[in-house]
Amino acid sequence: MPESDAQHLTFKLVYYGPAQSGKTTNLLRLHDLLAPELKGEVMTMETKDDRTLFFDLLPLGFRAPSGLLIKFRLFTVPGQVAHDGTRKAVLSRADGVVFVADADRAQETNNGESFQSLAANCARVGLDFEHLPMVVQFNKCDLPSAVPEAEIRERWSAAPWPLVFAIALTGQGVETSFELLIRTVYRNFCQKLKLQSEHGLSEDAFVAGALGMNA
Amino acid sequence: MTQGFDREWQLDELLDAASQGKIGPALSALLGGDFALTDQAGKTLWGQPSPEARREALILELEPVGYLLSSSASPAALSAARQLMLSLLRAEVRFKMASTLHLESVAEDFESLKREHARLSESEARYKALSGELEARVKKQVGELEERQQMLYEAEKLASVGQLAAGMAHEINNPLGFVRSNLTTFEKYLGKFAELKTHPGSLADGWQALDLDFILEDGIDLLHDSAKGMERIARIVADLKAFSNVDRASQEYADLNNCLREAVSMVEAQMPPGIHFRFDLLPLPGFVCLPGHINQLFFNVIRNAVLAIADSGRPGEVKISSEADETGIHIRIHDTGVGMTAEQIGHAFEPFYTTRPVGSGVGLGLATARNVVQAHSGRISLDSQPDVGTTVSLFFPTPP
Repeated sequence: MPESDAQHLTFKLVYYGPAQSGKTTNLLRLHDLLAPELKGEVMTMETKDDRTLFFDLLPLGFRAPSGLLIKFRLFTVPGQVAHDGTRKAVLSRADGVVFVADADRAQETNNGESFQSLAANCARVGLDFEHLPMVVQFNKCDLPSAVPEAEIRERWSAAPWPLVFAIALTGQGVETSFELLIRTVYRNFCQKLKLQSEHGLSEDAFVAGALGMNA
Repeated sequence: MTQGFDREWQLDELLDAASQGKIGPALSALLGGDFALTDQAGKTLWGQPSPEARREALILELEPVGYLLSSSASPAALSAARQLMLSLLRAEVRFKMASTLHLESVAEDFESLKREHARLSESEARYKALSGELEARVKKQVGELEERQQMLYEAEKLASVGQLAAGMAHEINNPLGFVRSNLTTFEKYLGKFAELKTHPGSLADGWQALDLDFILEDGIDLLHDSAKGMERIARIVADLKAFSNVDRASQEYADLNNCLREAVSMVEAQMPPGIHFRFDLLPLPGFVCLPGHINQLFFNVIRNAVLAIADSGRPGEVKISSEADETGIHIRIHDTGVGMTAEQIGHAFEPFYTTRPVGSGVGLGLATARNVVQAHSGRISLDSQPDVGTTVSLFFPTPP
């Protein structure tokens, strides 16, 4: 459940996935691509070899017609297996997840294990995995060794989550992933938080506010 | 729920009193004397905000966490001070978030270790229960086996008692038969004497005519024979009585030589011809034992010796010797029978091992013997050569 008071509503969104699948790159590209009313700096905590040790954070925000300030805080988890405790702590209280998988065929096992750990950690930190807003992004689709899109779609056809094929380095698919996630987040919380009824926010306005397209 | 690392940190959390004390004077000097610091709600953390002061927002993420105010500083100086404050605050927030997250993740790791520990404890408990169950089952089965073995042991005892009884019946029937026939004859003889009373002629003529000389002599013989027969029966009954101590479970002092003699007389009763015994018994100290069981043991061993000789088809000898030293009593029972192969010796003490045809023995003789020996803390061993004979050595320790 997002944190809220009379003037603020904060959604915590988490980028989860195996090591070096491109979670931090997603955040950096979003920072470049999005132009919402409020945008903070990306706070990264990288070690000297550019691996995320704790998390990265990108804050975004816009004001609803009602005056309510809607904030998004985008976190990445450390992907390395050893940091499972940290991953769990970052994942707790999440309102939505982008699972960033590595499309490289050699990474299929790591993707699977990471996805398993996401499901298990959701249960541990009290998140309902079945109903958690989520988007699955297959990054690095331009790799020669990437699993073909058709094959991935076939394999995930039974899953309820939207699939996005991305090349985070160039920004391709990054914005789409984020948009699809906050659409799901909106649908998930619209009723409970009276986004439409009290704050005059439609789904499109919500998305436009977050992405910074003042339509 | 705002204690997580990902909460939005407040200015007074990031700048505690100590660090305010450190940077306050420095900022004050930089900003020309007058400066104040308030949090985002306007609460003063440092200095005294004057109403006409310039105000710069301190924004870490999206919204101001506080304001820097000064009436004496130039806009450029105030802006520079703001940048300085911001980089200070960013470093601080990064440190706070990382350390809080680290604590959370350590706690989480600890939780998973505890979960793992609980899981292991549970599985350990499960295995313990399982092993307890197994142990109980093994115990129960061992108990059952022991019970069955005891039953078989009893059965064997009964069988040998039965064999013994059949032999005894035969032995007793024999003298009984001739005693009865003697008495019948003797009754007729007494009739002859009665005839003497009515016999015509002189007493001497009658005596002569009735051949009473012979009848008198034969009658006395008949009575002597019968008395001998009765004695035989009496002896058999006495032996049997001594032997039937089997079920008397109380320990007593016994002379093992007597036990050997009793056992021999039982075996002798049903012994085929051509076999004789030789005794070489030295005086033995009294031995505390279960005499019934010891008799059973000697009976089994001596009967085996006799049967081994019978199997060889030759006449033979069973030599029984005993002697005592300071450690205990040594008894050797040697026969000149068929002997045993090494393989047979290896199996000899196993229950149900027998070389005899089905129906003539269950194969518990030596097993029973060993049980009895072990119950008396003794030892039993076999030494044998095919066609030469077998020696069974027994040892019973006596307390010093």
